[in-house]
Amino acid sequence: MDAAEVEFLAEKELVTIIPNFSLDKIYLIGGDLGPFNPGLPVEVPLWLAINLKQRQKCRLLPPEWMDVEKLEKMRDHERKEETFTPMPSPYYMELTKLLLNHASDNIPKADEIRTLVKDMWDTRIAKLRVSADSFVRQQEAHAKLDNLTLMEINTSGTFLTQALNHMYKLRTNLQPLESTQSQGF
Amino acid sequence: MRRRQRREWEARRRDILFDYEQYEYHGTSSAMVMFELAWMLSKDLNDMLWWAIVGLTDQWVQDKITQMKYVTDVGVLQRHVSRHNHRNEDEENTLSVDCTRISFEYDLRLVLYQHWSLHDSLCNTSYTAARFKLWSVHGQKRLQEFLADMGLPLKQVKQKFQAMDISLKENLREMIEESANKFGMKDMRVQTFSIHFGFKHKFLASDVVFATMSLMESPEKDGSGTDHFIQALDSLSRSNLDKLYHGLELAKKQLRATQQTIASCLCTNLVISQGPFLYCSLMEGTPDVMLFSRPASLSLLSKHLLKSFVCSTKNRRCKLLPLVMAAPLSMEHGTVTVVGIPPETDSSDRKNFFGRAFEKAAESTSSRMLHNHFDLSVIELKAEDRSKFLDALISLLS
Repeated sequence: MDAAEVEFLAEKELVTIIPNFSLDKIYLIGGDLGPFNPGLPVEVPLWLAINLKQRQKCRLLPPEWMDVEKLEKMRDHERKEETFTPMPSPYYMELTKLLLNHASDNIPKADEIRTLVKDMWDTRIAKLRVSADSFVRQQEAHAKLDNLTLMEINTSGTFLTQALNHMYKLRTNLQPLESTQSQGF
Repeated sequence: MRRRQRREWEARRRDILFDYEQYEYHGTSSAMVMFELAWMLSKDLNDMLWWAIVGLTDQWVQDKITQMKYVTDVGVLQRHVSRHNHRNEDEENTLSVDCTRISFEYDLRLVLYQHWSLHDSLCNTSYTAARFKLWSVHGQKRLQEFLADMGLPLKQVKQKFQAMDISLKENLREMIEESANKFGMKDMRVQTFSIHFGFKHKFLASDVVFATMSLMESPEKDGSGTDHFIQALDSLSRSNLDKLYHGLELAKKQLRATQQTIASCLCTNLVISQGPFLYCSLMEGTPDVMLFSRPASLSLLSKHLLKSFVCSTKNRRCKLLPLVMAAPLSMEHGTVTVVGIPPETDSSDRKNFFGRAFEKAAESTSSRMLHNHFDLSVIELKAEDRSKFLDALISLLS
């Protein structure tokens, strides 16, 4: 999967906005989007929220987990544990990136939040690398990792599976040499 | 009886129309009017406010409005700036550093000084160059005295401004203002605005004005005539900062060329008095002469030349004369650009009568001219018709 595809899937997440226009309820294939009244918060998918923000038609409210103290606690918890801890949202990385790039003026302490989320991401990717490394060394047959988000899986997934394929090919090529002789002229 | 009345009425009508069309002057900046419109519709944004500020500053830089009008308009914009930019920033609520912030500044009027070295900026701002008379050796010495009076070492001053010692930069504005007062320059500081986003990008309104002006009038050949305009327009948006920086470099070249041309004109006495006005003509072989073929660059050059000339001449009568300046426009068509600048007085109302004067002079001598710039006081003339056109102008204005 492409990182852009994962971001596309993440854009279905709901966020709260405060529109400055009014519109009746709209009926889309994916679901209904409630009536829009200026000044009243309404939940919409992320793709619509970003589009409205770019057209200056709404104000974004940060999701409740996007708060400096909560993220600090999560980051410290992540650093202490050896396995992966549950993340505030299955698409936390994409949400952070999109919201902070397009609506950083609506999110208080945006710079600190960016640093904290990046810290969490780095810790988790490091744990993923360590776990992949030990998987290969000990030649395990299967592994189970909880609480991984799709973006993290996608970052290392393709490389890991292709590397394992190559190693399988190299390993299966070793054995025939021990049992048969190579053909001579 | 009725025919006589009708003839009188027609004559009065012609007189009124002539008085009305005689002078050309500028009103409120259209950028400001558009911003007020957006504000009425409640669709105004910080970005639009910045564009309104740039429009107003452009009028002031090109001397199109009086000082009083500029100060009034700055007051109007300042209210909008505080409305948009007064977030109560405290420990809990700091805004991301990437957000656009506009702030009111009472800053030095040295051109591009934060993107250049202080010394270069002092030499290339027309205000300081004219007052110090920097085209003469005596003027250069006065500049050194000025810097020594403030205690700024020459090595520091010639470095890029961002690399100057922080201890020197701290009270720079007040120090310069004090020393400038001693040397006879009372208006060193001017009310203006600056925009600030990210860690690195801070621009004064006049910086952006000079950058876009140079982009729009750069002499590089391009496919269609509108490419430069579109480039200049692009450079105003936040995502095209590289174009803005390119414009700043072009502006530095333009300003240097302007000052060098002024220095050479004054030293070789190219500004001659023709009676009712002063006349100066740039020759073909002058270095950088192609930079001055477009209307705004030539107007700026002429205004600065007139200011410097007024400071340099001792002839009392010459100080009150307007200036007509000619520069070669295109070799193959054999045309020159001619621009007319009203006389330099402290309280002038910036009304320019050259538009009509040029028209009448061209009509009476049937010179081939093209009179279709936005500024009525700039025309394109065939080089052969130049002398008879000037004679007609002299007889018209005397």
